[in-house]
Amino acid sequence: MNNVKRRASSSVSEGESAVKHLKRDTIKLDNENETEIEHKSESESDNDDEEEAQEEENGKSKTHTKTNTTAQDIHIARETAELFKSNIFKLQIDELLEQVKLNNKNILKVEKFLHKLYDMIQQVPESEEQSLIEIQSFFKNKIVAVPFVDPKPNVQNTNYKFKYLKPDVSLVGSFALKTGIYQPQGSSIDILLTMPAELFSKKDFLNFRCLHKRSVYLGWLTHHLSILFQKEKIDSFLKLEYEYFNNDTLLPILKIYCENPNNINTTNDNDYNFYKTKFSINLIVGFPEKVFEHKKLLPNKNCIRVAQDDPKADPSTLPATPLYNFSVLSSSTYESYLKYLYKTKKSTESFKEASILGRLWLQQRGFSSNLSQSGSLGGFGTFEFTTLMAALLNGGGVNGNKILLHGYSSYQLFRGVIKFLATMDLCDSGHLQFHSDINYTDAVSKYVQDGFQTPTLFDKTTKVNILTKMTVTSYKALKEYAKMTLKMLNNVVQDQFANIFLINISKYDNIKYDLCYKLDLPLGEDINKVLISKFTPNEKIKFITIENFLVNKITSILNYALGDRINALEVELVGHKSHFPIKKRKVYSSVGGHSLNFDYAKVKILVNPAESEKLVTRGPQHSEDITPEAATFKSFWGPKASLRRFKDGSIVHSCVWSTSASEPIIASIVDFVLKRHITENVQIDNSVTKQFQELVPLPNLPASKSTSILNLTSYYNLKKSFDELYKLVFKMSLPLSVKSILPIGSAFRYTSLCQPVPFAYSNPDFLQDVIIEFETSQRWPDEITSLEKAKTAFLLKIQEQLEAEHGTKYKSYFTRDESIPFNLDVTTLNILTPEGYGFKFRVLTERDEVLYLRAISNARNDMKPLLEDTFLKFTAKYLASVKHTRTIENISHSYQLFSPVVRLFKKWLDSHLLLGHLTDELVELVAMKPFVDAGPYHIPGSVENGFLKILRFISQWNWKDEPVILDLIKPEDELENGFETSIGGSDVDADTMKKLSEKLTLAQYKGIQTNFGHLRKTDSNGLHLQYFVASKNDPSGILYSSNIPLAIATRLTALSKIAVNLIQSHGLNKQTIDLLFTPGLNDYDFVVKLKTPVALKHSSGIIDDSEFRNISNDSAPTSFPDDMAQLSEKMDPTYQLVKYLNMKYKNSLIFSSHRYIGVNGGEKGDRNVITGLIKPHFKKQQKFKVNIDGNVKPVDKEIVELNKQALFHEIAAFSSELVVDFQSK
Amino acid sequence: MVHVDSMKNGFLVIPFKLPEHPVLSKHENGKSVPCHYMFMKKHQSKQEEESNCIFLVNIPLLTNVESMKTVIKEICDKYDEVSYVEDLLYNDEFGLNDVNLSSLTSDLMSVPNDSSETRFTPRNTALLKFVDQSSVNNCWNALVKYSNIKDSSKFVNWNYSAPSFSTFINFYKPIDLEYLKDDVHSHLAIFEQREQEAQEEVQGSIVDEDGFTMVVGKNTKNLNSIRKKILKKNPLTKHEAKTKPVTMADKKAKKDFYRFQVRERKKQEINQLLNKFKEDQERIKVMKAKKKFNPYRSA
Repeated sequence: MNNVKRRASSSVSEGESAVKHLKRDTIKLDNENETEIEHKSESESDNDDEEEAQEEENGKSKTHTKTNTTAQDIHIARETAELFKSNIFKLQIDELLEQVKLNNKNILKVEKFLHKLYDMIQQVPESEEQSLIEIQSFFKNKIVAVPFVDPKPNVQNTNYKFKYLKPDVSLVGSFALKTGIYQPQGSSIDILLTMPAELFSKKDFLNFRCLHKRSVYLGWLTHHLSILFQKEKIDSFLKLEYEYFNNDTLLPILKIYCENPNNINTTNDNDYNFYKTKFSINLIVGFPEKVFEHKKLLPNKNCIRVAQDDPKADPSTLPATPLYNFSVLSSSTYESYLKYLYKTKKSTESFKEASILGRLWLQQRGFSSNLSQSGSLGGFGTFEFTTLMAALLNGGGVNGNKILLHGYSSYQLFRGVIKFLATMDLCDSGHLQFHSDINYTDAVSKYVQDGFQTPTLFDKTTKVNILTKMTVTSYKALKEYAKMTLKMLNNVVQDQFANIFLINISKYDNIKYDLCYKLDLPLGEDINKVLISKFTPNEKIKFITIENFLVNKITSILNYALGDRINALEVELVGHKSHFPIKKRKVYSSVGGHSLNFDYAKVKILVNPAESEKLVTRGPQHSEDITPEAATFKSFWGPKASLRRFKDGSIVHSCVWSTSASEPIIASIVDFVLKRHITENVQIDNSVTKQFQELVPLPNLPASKSTSILNLTSYYNLKKSFDELYKLVFKMSLPLSVKSILPIGSAFRYTSLCQPVPFAYSNPDFLQDVIIEFETSQRWPDEITSLEKAKTAFLLKIQEQLEAEHGTKYKSYFTRDESIPFNLDVTTLNILTPEGYGFKFRVLTERDEVLYLRAISNARNDMKPLLEDTFLKFTAKYLASVKHTRTIENISHSYQLFSPVVRLFKKWLDSHLLLGHLTDELVELVAMKPFVDAGPYHIPGSVENGFLKILRFISQWNWKDEPVILDLIKPEDELENGFETSIGGSDVDADTMKKLSEKLTLAQYKGIQTNFGHLRKTDSNGLHLQYFVASKNDPSGILYSSNIPLAIATRLTALSKIAVNLIQSHGLNKQTIDLLFTPGLNDYDFVVKLKTPVALKHSSGIIDDSEFRNISNDSAPTSFPDDMAQLSEKMDPTYQLVKYLNMKYKNSLIFSSHRYIGVNGGEKGDRNVITGLIKPHFKKQQKFKVNIDGNVKPVDKEIVELNKQALFHEIAAFSSELVVDFQSK
Repeated sequence: MVHVDSMKNGFLVIPFKLPEHPVLSKHENGKSVPCHYMFMKKHQSKQEEESNCIFLVNIPLLTNVESMKTVIKEICDKYDEVSYVEDLLYNDEFGLNDVNLSSLTSDLMSVPNDSSETRFTPRNTALLKFVDQSSVNNCWNALVKYSNIKDSSKFVNWNYSAPSFSTFINFYKPIDLEYLKDDVHSHLAIFEQREQEAQEEVQGSIVDEDGFTMVVGKNTKNLNSIRKKILKKNPLTKHEAKTKPVTMADKKAKKDFYRFQVRERKKQEINQLLNKFKEDQERIKVMKAKKKFNPYRSA
């Protein structure tokens, strides 16, 4: 690359040395110079600390070497604590950077080709001046076509000439800056070929002239390069292709890459074949610097003159052409930005590392430098990130104060940029100005509080707005991510490294976004009518392509229509192509059945659940004369718009929507507005949302089909009924007065699988648990049976009074309670309210806990685990449940989707027969994870999104090594308040401090982690306890998850992995969703199918899918039977059966079944299935022992094996009247 | 299958033919006759109530004393032996009485004057008690002969006492109110009486050598040290890190009085920092080994 060097030296003044340096760098890899300097500075700064450290160490150790190393360590440790978030963060960054380092061998390999390519470019012959006709005839029979941009020049009005002269060749982009990283899909090397200035005239920036000249230039180059490749015999593996650089159709480039050697016959060990390096080379044809007057290409200027109605009209009345102007102008600025960034890199030690961090961060969030006007996130890639960073190193504050300092660590630089993006508005209320002129030493970047309504990072030197390619939507998304990331960076409690840098959140749309709608646009001529006719010349020069126009139209329609119902919106054109063969002029798309360059469009939405289901879309106020806003509103909504008077007396233009159990209102709005404003024939596919919402059991309540999934009225009704009862019980005169009545049932926290339905007493959750406490007394018996009897005596008193005073309304009865193992004397008072709900009262005294603990200490050692388990069950049921219910109830008001999501998750678990093995609390806490610990994603805003995130989380949860530590608090919306507009302010102010206090503190978090560490010391593989799920309510992490059979825990993990894989490989559709909820019965050792004599679906309060609602209504109970004993007739016998089976065969088998027969028990709710797993040690023969505890048969005089035949007979006999089929392996 | 009449450790293998079950028979065509195998051995014990017993292992579903009487009679009849079964002891099929919470929390309600531990046998085992020595011997003789039968068609039939649909439904039935009241009343009456007695006993009798009356029993309610001891048994705090409580002396002591204290503290701080750093490095190593730093892997 000597040539390159020579050419570079001819470049301008001060930049010269930089570029020279740069060129040398590209040849000599990883220049030792830099590392040398780094070493020096390190050892210099070491000295101070070393002295200090030595002073301390002197007394102890005289061995100099040892002191030296520790001193160095101390220094590093100290430094990282100050310069980075924490030691571990710094170490993680180091490792990450190491991971993504480019392979030197690959660089050498590709550089070899680059030299060759350079030489070949020099061999391309220069041409004479040619007219368009001459050009056309030259290319007529050639393989290569000229990639003219639309609209292509015609012969009549093209009187300028085309010519090829040798370009100035230089490396640009991240490869030149050496900030490139390894990417699995390969990286590209940008080579700039600058057209000589004499090819242009002053006015060429107008009306595509310079672009056409460039197209011809590129065509000429491509033609001759392909000939040269043939000559050099390297054409067999080298491929040439046109590509729109960054999706900009105005900027075709030539891309060179190597074909996969497997696809071509010739075995190629050619020196120039760089296929394995995965590099590709972009030849970008640029314009010389300052060839056009920059001022004329300002974003607000018009540079495409189109015919106007009035030919005499001033061209300044024409609409601005920012995209075109940017494309032209930025084509002349590659080199100056390279110099600018290079200079900054030289003066900023950690620039390279910080830019790599930025690149990764953006990549993981789906951002790139691509034009975002044609859909998807874009307009902000590594280049924009590093340029912003450079600008902030030179100022960036309102007064030009420096936001970043050159001595910052990579972490500080990255964080500074993120913080700037998160807190400073570059769109509506301000913009950032900077100077890319490296000679202008006083250049100061400045934040100006004046917005252009478009993201603006304005370079005063080149007059380029770096963020032109960014739409407002894309910018808002970026800002949102920056905010989230800043929050994560500020989080000193949890390790957020993976969330910030490692997780690719844009991989699966259904996890990244709440709702995804597929839009199929109609075929054929219709498109002309609905789209092309609206794509007027003025729109054309503004949007350049019809695809950009369409994306903009859909985006603005939906944004206007949905307003604050959504948090963000992205439109993606699926199948959008940006490359095309060199024999074609441009992309000709054949997919999608229309002439547009995409297959179909995808609308991706982040929902704002607080507003999404509101019934009324409120428009402007009504007034006598129609305001423009009102006119817009009316014409936008058409027949939907109406005038409504609200409670406060205001009369407002508005639209009214109706809710549905199967679809969010957003779906109806999207459907309505797209049909109205795009075309009647547009097909919107949103079946996924519908299917998921229909999976949530529908309660047998009036109008339940038109009740929003977010509606919790059914729960509120139950609570209301409880409040009435509460008042009655509180008023009663009892030997000890009532201290508290605390509801702990799952319906009180909106998480019961079935919604509460009056009189639906077959529902296993029908009786909602309540804990009653009396005033303190020393008189409670000091023996557990008697204590329970004494409690029952109190309940009897309550029952007596209730019967006497409210016997006509309330019914009550006692049952035995088996929730605490070995405590056979617990009785509960079950009260049925006149509203049709049931509550189960149990008494808690201050004596209980001590007694259970005493039992542990008095027990034989081999019995201790059993008693500890009893204690845990007691604590979970009587003590922790109160806090759990209160916490979940409280925060689920802020996580609107939690209730339906957890219900769907419970249904999923039950359809896979797992729910019976897990406690409600554990399931709820696991389901809460994607809500309270959403990073790096958003808080779920749809049922499917929440559900999929739970599955994703479980599938990736390595419970052996990772505890789940939940911070059960509401989302921190108030974050913004914590930030001051001036960037120099302190990070944490009083408000955030207050918020912090509710959060888990570092000490608490560490404490929980230590608990986990201790636990795993005794059970390192998690054989006894798998799921460690802790929160402030339960720092032990074991309260709800002890005693889950290992096989069940691993099965849950396996099932979620299968589910996630299924969705990843086959997407979400009817089949996959159905499959998700189908139990895999073949995995079990045997399967018993059951049928109960009484169907329980309707009496569980579940509605049929059928249209004939009345029929289903009839069989549902509408009152309680007079005789309480009759209640049992509509109870689930299979539950008791499975319970006793599990008790009897505890040691040898694990039985599972559907817990909610009304939900998963077939069409009528009268089917169940029992599956059996044989525990591993009974799968093989073993020695006969007295305490073998399994149904075995002898093999010989010492060995026995499980007697499956007899077992099956026992199970079949036990299931007697219920069993209909028995299958075994 | 090889015929096994007894196990090495002296247990006889006693097979029973199982009844056909409609849902199983269709899968069982051609397979061997389904049999249940019980293991029996003469029980030796010094306990009075455990004399004349045979030890049973692997007891079929829902076995009770009647079902045992039936099969024992059938076996004895085969060999003209006479034997009378009295009771089936310690059969706790569902493990309901694995733990006696009452006796673990207080000795008040346990059987009085029973100083020894409660007797029990392992799960899925029981003692079959006969009326006298000769019954046991007669039965044993018959069992020995029976265990030698090789032809499965000559095995004695076992009939499960299968629960019905209503058995399961009955679990949901309310407790009879009158019964409950009586039960609570009588139980509490006994308890109060026992408590009273115990208290009197304590106050009346235990006077130690020095003439002091001992008032502290094993499970006394309010003694702090005992309470603490019990609280330590909390399984929830088992894995928690133990912290040393700060005493008043610690609090009052000056920490920067001597130079050496300052120096020590500084050194300690630096060591802590260093240790933390080393720990972090270790953690990173572990994470690296698990390939936790690949940004292109996880989603």
